[in-house]
Amino acid sequence: MNSSMPDASNILRAVWENGTTLLAYPNLTSPAVYFTGYMQPGAIADSPETRGLASFTTDMLMTGTKQLNFQQLHEKIESIGASLSIGTGHLATTFFGQCLREDLETLWSLLVEIVREPAFAEKHFKRVRSQILTSIAIQNQDSTEMASQAFNRALYNAHPYAHPSIGYAQTVSALQISQLETFHATHYGPSGLVMAVCGGIEPERAREAFANTLGAWQNQRQAAQGELPPFTPPQKAIREHIPLDGKNQTDLVIGVPAPKTISRDFQVCSLGNAILGKYGMMGRIGKAVREKAGLAYEVSSHLGTGIGPTAWTVAAGVNPDNLDKAIALLCAELSRFRDEPVTAQELQDVKTQALGRLPLSLETNAGIASILVSIERYGYGLDHLRQLPAIIESVRIEEIQAAVRRYWEMDKLIITSAGKALV
Amino acid sequence: MPIDLNQNLHQTRLKNGLRVMLKEIHTAPVTSTWIWYGIGSRNELPGKTGLSHWVEHMQFKGTQKYSGDDIDDLVSRVGGYANAFTSADWTTYFETMPSAHLRSTLALEADRMVNSRFDPADVETERTVILSEREGSENYPEFRLDESVQQRAFREHTYRNEVLGFREDLIHHTRDDLYGHYHRYYQPSNAILCVAGDINIQAVLEDVEALFGEIPSVPLSPIIPNPENTLEPGERIDMEGPGEAHYLEIAWRCPSASDPDFFAYAIIESLLSGPSSLNMFGSGGISNRTSRLYQALVEEDLAASIFGDLSATIDPGVYKVFATIRPDGDPLAALNAIDEQVRLLCASALSATEIERAIKQASALFAYGSDNITNQGFWMGYASSFADYQWVAEYLPRLRAVTPDQVLNAARKYLRADQRVVGIYRATKPQEAR
Repeated sequence: MNSSMPDASNILRAVWENGTTLLAYPNLTSPAVYFTGYMQPGAIADSPETRGLASFTTDMLMTGTKQLNFQQLHEKIESIGASLSIGTGHLATTFFGQCLREDLETLWSLLVEIVREPAFAEKHFKRVRSQILTSIAIQNQDSTEMASQAFNRALYNAHPYAHPSIGYAQTVSALQISQLETFHATHYGPSGLVMAVCGGIEPERAREAFANTLGAWQNQRQAAQGELPPFTPPQKAIREHIPLDGKNQTDLVIGVPAPKTISRDFQVCSLGNAILGKYGMMGRIGKAVREKAGLAYEVSSHLGTGIGPTAWTVAAGVNPDNLDKAIALLCAELSRFRDEPVTAQELQDVKTQALGRLPLSLETNAGIASILVSIERYGYGLDHLRQLPAIIESVRIEEIQAAVRRYWEMDKLIITSAGKALV
Repeated sequence: MPIDLNQNLHQTRLKNGLRVMLKEIHTAPVTSTWIWYGIGSRNELPGKTGLSHWVEHMQFKGTQKYSGDDIDDLVSRVGGYANAFTSADWTTYFETMPSAHLRSTLALEADRMVNSRFDPADVETERTVILSEREGSENYPEFRLDESVQQRAFREHTYRNEVLGFREDLIHHTRDDLYGHYHRYYQPSNAILCVAGDINIQAVLEDVEALFGEIPSVPLSPIIPNPENTLEPGERIDMEGPGEAHYLEIAWRCPSASDPDFFAYAIIESLLSGPSSLNMFGSGGISNRTSRLYQALVEEDLAASIFGDLSATIDPGVYKVFATIRPDGDPLAALNAIDEQVRLLCASALSATEIERAIKQASALFAYGSDNITNQGFWMGYASSFADYQWVAEYLPRLRAVTPDQVLNAARKYLRADQRVVGIYRATKPQEAR
């Protein structure tokens, strides 16, 4: 790996007239190259009647182009040992790929062809729809997924984030191939596309390859990404359980709205979250629920990131007979988190952890590329990694407690679970 | 340029039998320490399943010198990450850390090789944690089907054991069962210590000698599994339960990792169900959409997805293929399509091009893992646990040496319709879609 840290002096950042952006960082000892990024559109472009349209369209991209059928397309990718994946989230379509360095231009040429000229063949439309419906059917029996979806419905309510990007069986079943073609023609395009690449390629060569491929992509019909609607958090506590047959474990989510990712609160709460449910063996709640009470194998907390609204959650998988006990223990820990300041030792521990993890996150091409994407997405600036230690060091105990009190309002907790029916 | 896994490698063995493998890689200020014990569910007797995995959990509960919290703090405080895994053949613990903290991880591993406390109260809380871990897996029909197929595939050999342990056994294990298992198998002569990363080999050797050199080894009396008999023709498991998709699993016998046939089998796997990656950590894989089974099942609308798994094991194991069948699909139609592809594979030799393609895919997968110091630490001990390090270092040349006839012979030898187990899980209560 390049011995210096990625910063403004060594990250190549180039913007093209078509609205695409490339960030490149070299790791010339690597024989491989990894790239990742995002582009419009996301599932927020779906209407209530077409939930799943954006995701279905994305899934169709990998089934063939106007020049290459399914077999030819995947033969080109797999025969060189490369990988390429595209998926849809709420706000964007994301992609990543990996190949040997000599194959990068081949893979980027394919990526352009895939996003610019998908075939939308009838037989693949039917097949992919069948696969999506099977995935939805499996999700509907998955206790982790059902607890999470119930949580999102309760938290986001009228906001589009309340719905899974994949859609619902009845909306996906009703979609027509013409809707996918129209959606593709009017939403896919270069404007807003961001790509980060890291590996055994000189940044200037990456720039040249990008200019000949994604940098040259044009679509005059591409619509502007719609604005996210406002988010109004629920003003009361919510408790919902989804009964599922044949489950030996119940999955549980407790949460509240999270701070905006681009905010001081987020940096403060990141350290707080590490204390709550990550540091060491899952932080405070790991100690209480797993280590002391022996109630769960999996228990942890998660602070969501994203451009739109996100959630701050704790989650656990427990025996159905222990569900109430686990909820009580987790709520007691959350109350303690609100009522008592974290200790100086706890804060020092998570600070040194965050600082020490920095070199580990730069260990791989994929790790660096992911950081470059975040730098661009959240507007951190190319010197973000150099500035991060000072930001981490500046967080104070009182700031954490004040933020925790703002976000973890115990009378507005959302608690959802899925598993054996409650008695 | 091919990746030379022997570059900057040093191997030695201490007087107490501890094998030591050190590899200098100075691409990042990071080290990855792995300690491997030759103990897993393969070495567990009936009624004692799950002991190896449970002991792995107890190794995070503390020694006289380090409390459980100390162990968490030692790694997390400096930004490192640590974990442990138990398999049929081995148990391993690793810590990836900023390189300045290597000695502290070596000291921890030396101490918990012999001094873990196994406090009775900790044993009881961990019992419910492990039952919870098992219940989480049981929520998935695929786990229940696979557990049944594995037991049918091995009636004699201990590869029939579930690594987590069977529920009845987990309820009854005592503190003495666990401590006895630990005392018997956690010792230098049954361990391999591997360190990869930003190290000075001489300095690390001195630390290893100082920390591990005085730990005594006791005579090892390992449980030698019974050899497995041939399968009865027509072995079949039918299960049903709640769900909204059917599952099909087929397990064929496969050779041990050290058997020369294994490399021909790896080519078969690549061709039939797509290549497996030897990378353990975040280095991606290759899709299998051009594999013969994907083409025959998914592209023909007989399955929603399909994948295979060929594991490298000490004794002959199994190659498994898993298919997810949509709710209105027929698992038997999928089975027939798989049979037809196997018949075609056994009918004529592959072309050299097909073998070359499998080699290119394997080369790429190695390249993806090579920028990851944690993977490099993993590879050393992993291969040494069932064969030796040259197994992984020479993996690509040995694949290149496979001939079309060897692939054909291996396919005919192992992919026999009368020497496999078929498992089918049928979803019985489709729920109304949301």
